[in-house]
Amino acid sequence: MVFSRLFFIYIFLPLCLLVYAAARGIKQKNTVLIIFSLLFYAWGEPVYIFLMLLTAAVNYTAGLIIGKYQGKGGDTAATAAAVAYDLLMLGIFKYSGFIAENINALFSCSIPVPDIRLPIGISFYTFQTISYIIDCHWEKVKPQKNFKNFLLFLTLFPQLVAGPIVRYSTIEKEIVNRTVELRDISYGFNRIALGLAKKVLLADQLNIISESFLGNIGGSTAFGAWYGVIAYGMRIYFDFSGYSDIAIGLGRVFGFHFDENFNHPFICKDITEFWQRWHISLSTFFRDYVLYIPIFGKRRKYGGLFLVWLCTGIWHGASWNFIFWGLYYGVFVFIEMKIGKKKMKKIPVVIRHIYSKFVIFIGFGIFYFEDIGKLGTFFKTAFGFGKNGFIAVQDRISLINNMYLLIIAVICCFPVLNGIKTLSDKRFASKAVISSSAAVAAALLLVITSIMLVDSTTHPFLYYRF
Amino acid sequence: MNEDNKNASKDKEKNKSADVSDKAVRPEPVISIEASDREKTAIDIPIKAKKLKKQRRKTVLNSIALANIILMGAIFAGGFVYVALLPHETKADDENRMLTTLPKFSPKSYISGEFTAGIADYFDDTVHDRAHIKQFIADNITPLKGRKYGDGEDGAELYGSGFVRKPPAAAITTAPQVTTTAAAQSPAPTSETTAVPETTAPPQEEEQAQGELTNNILIVNKRGVTLYGGAWGTEQEYASFVNEYKEALGGKNVYSMVLPTSSSFYIPEQYSNLAYSEKDDFDKIEASLKGVIPVDAYNILNAHKNEAIYSRTDHHWQPLGAYYAAQEFALMAGVPFAELSEYETVTLPGYVGTLYMYTQSATLLNNPEDFVYYKPKTPVTVTQYDTHFQNPVAANLLLDPTPMPNSGYYMVFGSDERIVHVNTECKNGRNLVIFKDSYGNALLPMLTSSFENIYLCDIRYFDLNAIDFIDSVGATDVLFAMCSFSAVGANRSCIHNNLNK
Repeated sequence: MVFSRLFFIYIFLPLCLLVYAAARGIKQKNTVLIIFSLLFYAWGEPVYIFLMLLTAAVNYTAGLIIGKYQGKGGDTAATAAAVAYDLLMLGIFKYSGFIAENINALFSCSIPVPDIRLPIGISFYTFQTISYIIDCHWEKVKPQKNFKNFLLFLTLFPQLVAGPIVRYSTIEKEIVNRTVELRDISYGFNRIALGLAKKVLLADQLNIISESFLGNIGGSTAFGAWYGVIAYGMRIYFDFSGYSDIAIGLGRVFGFHFDENFNHPFICKDITEFWQRWHISLSTFFRDYVLYIPIFGKRRKYGGLFLVWLCTGIWHGASWNFIFWGLYYGVFVFIEMKIGKKKMKKIPVVIRHIYSKFVIFIGFGIFYFEDIGKLGTFFKTAFGFGKNGFIAVQDRISLINNMYLLIIAVICCFPVLNGIKTLSDKRFASKAVISSSAAVAAALLLVITSIMLVDSTTHPFLYYRF
Repeated sequence: MNEDNKNASKDKEKNKSADVSDKAVRPEPVISIEASDREKTAIDIPIKAKKLKKQRRKTVLNSIALANIILMGAIFAGGFVYVALLPHETKADDENRMLTTLPKFSPKSYISGEFTAGIADYFDDTVHDRAHIKQFIADNITPLKGRKYGDGEDGAELYGSGFVRKPPAAAITTAPQVTTTAAAQSPAPTSETTAVPETTAPPQEEEQAQGELTNNILIVNKRGVTLYGGAWGTEQEYASFVNEYKEALGGKNVYSMVLPTSSSFYIPEQYSNLAYSEKDDFDKIEASLKGVIPVDAYNILNAHKNEAIYSRTDHHWQPLGAYYAAQEFALMAGVPFAELSEYETVTLPGYVGTLYMYTQSATLLNNPEDFVYYKPKTPVTVTQYDTHFQNPVAANLLLDPTPMPNSGYYMVFGSDERIVHVNTECKNGRNLVIFKDSYGNALLPMLTSSFENIYLCDIRYFDLNAIDFIDSVGATDVLFAMCSFSAVGANRSCIHNNLNK
């Protein structure tokens, strides 16, 4: 099930909220959340839900063993077994086809390429279980002894299929004891409305532009290639951060406090900062669990760095362009590390902004084109070696046709709301006015977004034939 | 936004610590009437006021939060009633389709996910008063994205998933090598786009290898135009397919009338490089025909382009355009042809056609046009068959538009998925088979005074061997009448395939 659908917003969610509100006590409320979470997942994955339940059982059991044999051999063995299981499942379901294809290509053999559909959310919930197991092993958290509570941690539907990657330590206490105040619920609702608006009003509209220009890169001009890739970058940002907003908002309504996953990444001044602001739950996962794996000896600092970026790339998809994309960022982070923070800060801010945006949007180009040939065409076109010149009338028409959308999208990349909030917090009267205005604005956004969703099922091509 | 909560908890902590220090330092306040005690009580009055102020502020913020929750709750509740409980729509007139129905449960459909997905699709797709909501979006929300390019209301809007570009002059005269495998150049469209008009692939090795489809629509001067993307060799293939028919049919007359679209006539000069020349490809087709009689619809339509020969809101032509093309064909075929005065003119106002459906453009929605068609006054006998030329059913030449939605007026010519036989009062012994796409439907009424029998067959929905069929009905003439997009797009392969069924 997808958040940005009328069925979810106006049928699934209200029913879930009603039943949750009617439940008495934390145990009942947790049961309601588990049932709705499993229903939510089974709606899209009626078969692979059993894989998720198996993963939950395996990791729950491993956690118990780790707890029982803390500091002894059984602890390490259970940790290794659980992590191996998690990675194996991810490998089988996400990467087996890619690996087989590449072995066939490399050794000219013909291993059957498994045609396995990727279970929804496996990349997210696998990382959740890995972080849980390692945290148990490191004694950062106590293993959860109640399977129902563990299941709630893993399956909690707000964050189940597209993150953020919520760590057990983040919600450990709230699983068994949480309070929800009026302001939590109103904040949660507003955040949901904001996330939906980002997705439907910005991301989906920007997608039309990016598909127009990148989708036919062979026919684009240099301007078109840049225009398309910038629209694509913003689209991915609003899409993903919008989803995270909805997840965080839903979590808050139920009394959970998830960490932020995005922090206005486009205002960064260098690539290191970009990754401190973009998909934060993934970056911190790799930082905490992969960066300092002691497998590179004395070169651990840089070896770990490139391992992190290799993993980041592979995590995003089983395709070479994602691997290049990860390593591409690794190179820039490595260069920035070599230059050093102090020297980086001495570079004029304008230049750092231009540099970082250039690298980021070229990065989105690599991210977009899974076909390496088309990626080459994109590079040639973007850097003026394409066959279609610098700019053409279709570029101008599209730019004018979408000018307000683009202006609003760019403004929304900046922390405007945070700025307003900081200002309003200084005086109570302004805080009250802003809170009231936020309520009205969120309601309006929700209504407009819902109206737009009615159009999302339009099938314009069906009878569009000669 | 997350700071909201942090601040709230900070406030709580501050309050707690303030309370603790108050209790530790200050004595319990006592209201005393003694003057000497007043100092003590006087200290506590502002503290209480401060507390009260804080309390009031908290109450105000909580009230706002409550109002916020009630407002959002009302929207969720209203949305639930609207999406789940109000009557569901069953048909989308503006999209010319039946809306999603509730799926039937079966273990197989459940395991595949189709059942659950179907339920969500049903509620999303059948929202009450869907058409009006979509109209509201087109009128009020979509225009907020930007403004038209150029002058005011007559400015340009561009829709589509890719662009074409003007070929270099040399490329026009040097057609690429043609092979039958060129048919595979078009990429497989997504499931949503399987019925996209068969547009054409851009040129040269690089773009051909990428095989992009171009489905651009330019809206300018309140008219939607599908931008022609060029044939790039496939026009030769079309000609070779039609030549195969001539070769197989020997003495029968075989005609090729490739019909231009509005792309040839209504793109203002400043946007002319957005589309390729249909005329150039028509000339190449004509040069490649062997024994097939070319019918030049382009010039006669060009001569009448200031009349309403093409729809502004639909990708088809108007019946008047079909009339002029039919006139040219009749001239080439040497058969009689009825003047327009011999037809009854029917005008259907408020027509908003397929281009609105595709673009959802308010410009098209708010500028409907007249759909004008012509009913032959002479009686005809019409029989419809399935695509195997079986199961005959008596029918009318033109469908009754009364029950049709405005957007469906083009359907007055019926659908494509059947073979139509028309027996006329014209007893000249000439029997015509038309192989066509949907453009060809509008030709049928215009030729009822020209041939004794007419068989209308859609190249895409024909399940017989074409030559056997032509022989079996005793055809004297065979006309290929389809628009440029079909002739040089993937539909052309149907012409060839129908020879081998």
